[in-house]
Amino acid sequence: MSSQRDIFLTRLFERAKEDKDIYLISVDMGAPALDRWRQELPDQFFAAGISEQNAINFAAGLSAAGKKVYVYFMACWVARCFEQIRYSCAMANNPITILGNGVALGYAPAGPAHEPTEDLTYMRSLCDIEIYSPTNGEVTEKLVDLTCDVPKLRYVRLERKYPEKLDNLSKNTKLTSEFIERGLSVISPEMPESSRQISNSKICILSSGYMLGRAIDVSEKLMTLGYEVGIVDLWRIKPINSELFKQTVSPYEFLVTLEEQTLFGGFGSAVAEVVVDLSLDKDVLRIGLPERYIFENGDREHLLNANGLSVESICEKIRTRLP
Amino acid sequence: MNNEELEKLAKSVRKRIFKFKTKSGYGHLASCLSCVDILASLYYDEETNYDHTKDAIIFSKGHGSPSIYPILVDLGYVDESELDKYCTPEGILRLHADSSIPGCNFVAGSLGNGIGYAAGLAYGTQKNVVVMLGDAELYEGSVWESIIFIAHHNIKNLTMVVDRNAMGILGKTEELLKLEPLEEKFASFGLDVVTVDGHNFDELRKAFSTESDRPRMIIANTIKGKGVSYMEDVWQYHTIIPKDEEEIRIGIEELT
Repeated sequence: MSSQRDIFLTRLFERAKEDKDIYLISVDMGAPALDRWRQELPDQFFAAGISEQNAINFAAGLSAAGKKVYVYFMACWVARCFEQIRYSCAMANNPITILGNGVALGYAPAGPAHEPTEDLTYMRSLCDIEIYSPTNGEVTEKLVDLTCDVPKLRYVRLERKYPEKLDNLSKNTKLTSEFIERGLSVISPEMPESSRQISNSKICILSSGYMLGRAIDVSEKLMTLGYEVGIVDLWRIKPINSELFKQTVSPYEFLVTLEEQTLFGGFGSAVAEVVVDLSLDKDVLRIGLPERYIFENGDREHLLNANGLSVESICEKIRTRLP
Repeated sequence: MNNEELEKLAKSVRKRIFKFKTKSGYGHLASCLSCVDILASLYYDEETNYDHTKDAIIFSKGHGSPSIYPILVDLGYVDESELDKYCTPEGILRLHADSSIPGCNFVAGSLGNGIGYAAGLAYGTQKNVVVMLGDAELYEGSVWESIIFIAHHNIKNLTMVVDRNAMGILGKTEELLKLEPLEEKFASFGLDVVTVDGHNFDELRKAFSTESDRPRMIIANTIKGKGVSYMEDVWQYHTIIPKDEEEIRIGIEELT
């Protein structure tokens, strides 16, 4: 398990050493990678204290002055400065990069105040924002370059930890900024030779970030049962690359979205919107968290399993809904 | 520029605001009238530090931002015909100013945000940046977040002005929800605070031409609805724009 936050900040530090226009504003958040930044680039670092609203407004003003600004806080607090992101950044066209650390249940067992399970819903509503949920460390690193080189209002949802198996996904891919901007790619697991195909519907599971690891687990289990399954890593959730999406899902009849969010307006909704807008003839099953705040104790895996997102439970939901 | 000339210009600005607001029926006329002398001092008086060709003013108090339109006309940023087209589909001037309007550096309309934005702009550009705050805007917690930050980083090229007309929508601030003692509050945060009569050009000139080694907070005591006798200090006029012909006639006469 690796921290995308440290990967992002380490790479950003390298870029900031070469580019004096890069500023980082920490909203009372530390990180090992920050310690070096504070020592070596103190003039490009601001400790904003616990003040999300001012941090975003100040960042917007710096952006208006031509600076490349990153605001770093826990992902749960984007709601706390939603108005400032909407007004001072989106509306006033001041591009900054918002680094939300610990998305969804990533801070478990801290409780629902620290676990944003609807951030995609509200952040997706902002006009012309880009939202990324990077797959792994490599994609996270490349995102740094994209955000430095192409100014845009972006919300980057960083995983505190992500499954190591996700690192393997980038092994055979040249990760350029252009590739990152594509926003999605297909992962095609090999069917075990001994499997027999028991359904005519090819299944495509779409997910991102931490849940992509679970999507792989689910696909492996389904394939051993004889289903044909592909996986799509959709790391740019807004905007979704419609044309590429259409091509990518064309071989599949049954689309499953898997997210660690409640279902109103989140990841699955974003996918369903594209399916409807493109008039694609696909069945879509959205799988996510129940419509409630989760107060149970337990780590992330425990909470996922206890809230309908165990591998077994997901497989059962898919099998039940298959045409 | 001497005070007599400034007063004449300010009166002309008020008259034009009154005309386009009463013609359209849109916006916050009284809130616009209270801050006109502050703007006249900044824009017309050469003795202040503000240079509109290089510096920037941010209307954190967005509902007062149309008060700048006649000044933008005078200075050649905007064609005079636009005043008559205020808030019409054919016009470029809006109820809340935004950066699509020549001479405007901001999107106005959401209170409590312009101050932090102005701080970032000042820090990043080294321009003289003036941010115009409403006094009732000071209820927004984000304002105080920004003041802590501005004082700590000693953003000296930022001047904050509070248009202290002492009213919010529902009445007098000190009766509804006390803001005072404002001077002491700002000073305790580390700002260089001065209180002036926001309709006195000598005091405004001094405030806007004095250098400081700290960020400046200028509390400008003003009268809401300034210049129109029946509107002055009458809280109901926050959202009411005179519609009656006789009221409009009196207003124009008093501003002429």
